[in-house]
Amino acid sequence: MRSLGTGFWVAVALAAVGFLVVPSLILQSPIEPNMGFVQKIFYFHVPCAIMMFLSTFVCAGGSIAYLFKGSERGDRLAVAAAELGVLFGVCTLTTGPLWGRKAWGVWWQWDARLTTSLLLFLMLVAYLLARRYGGPAGRKLAAALSLFAAINVPLVYKSVDIWRTVHPKTTVVTTLDARMRVAFWSAFLLITLVWTLLLIIRMRLERARADLAALRLDAEDELAEGRR
Amino acid sequence: MTMMTAPWKRIRSALLAVAVLAAWTGTALAQEFEKVENIPKQEIPAGRFVSIAYGIIWLAVLAYVVMVAAGLKRVNQEIADVKRQLGPKG
Repeated sequence: MRSLGTGFWVAVALAAVGFLVVPSLILQSPIEPNMGFVQKIFYFHVPCAIMMFLSTFVCAGGSIAYLFKGSERGDRLAVAAAELGVLFGVCTLTTGPLWGRKAWGVWWQWDARLTTSLLLFLMLVAYLLARRYGGPAGRKLAAALSLFAAINVPLVYKSVDIWRTVHPKTTVVTTLDARMRVAFWSAFLLITLVWTLLLIIRMRLERARADLAALRLDAEDELAEGRR
Repeated sequence: MTMMTAPWKRIRSALLAVAVLAAWTGTALAQEFEKVENIPKQEIPAGRFVSIAYGIIWLAVLAYVVMVAAGLKRVNQEIADVKRQLGPKG
């Protein structure tokens, strides 16, 4: 297998710098008067939610390539993205209640945004379970499931505008104070970089597994020839 | 149709007035807050919540990196083993 390129290691170095710089930018950003210090969770909570959406779209894209063109690469991309969707879903669904407890006084509220987000997370979990335990048709079943998950993403995003919810609306990012905006976009860039790096290494693992399966088939063929 | 006499009309009006008054005072009493002093202050620690939130994110990412790296190491090891079994042709 090819070694990871220079670009990958430059990105890792950039992410390491980001880990040092971004928290200080967040601490320097002004404190929101209504919610206070707990609002600072927002700077990582929202990018994590966006990465969950992005993962779902990438998973659906890879699944389409696999379902309609039989692309193995598309399938590898889909499973890597689905896992990242679950990872960032865990981050979103645990940081959100921490914020909610302080801002709303409750850990969880069955409102449209929270419920549809949980549903999206469960769909991604179902994708991984279908692949693992779905038998021979599991991969195709999971790929079809990912399309439904992708349809759910716009609903999750627009839910706060369609229904009355306790969750802040989509306009919250566009109306941020200038210093808050710097902190938010730098955190967003850092999380996107981390997501990209994780996707690259996860796809490498999937490719290595495919190589191993092909090698095992060769070994079995050779063994069968030897017996004849 | 029966006609209502004057005393009955008065009684009905009086009952209606009592009912309206009772409903109004009941609502007013329910909306009244009682002032209590020297109760312990309920403060949710925001700093701790923010630290926990960031901690969860970075721990989750770190755990995932470790998991994928371990998986890669194991699969690469298995590839090397199978190649060794296949011999020079593999």
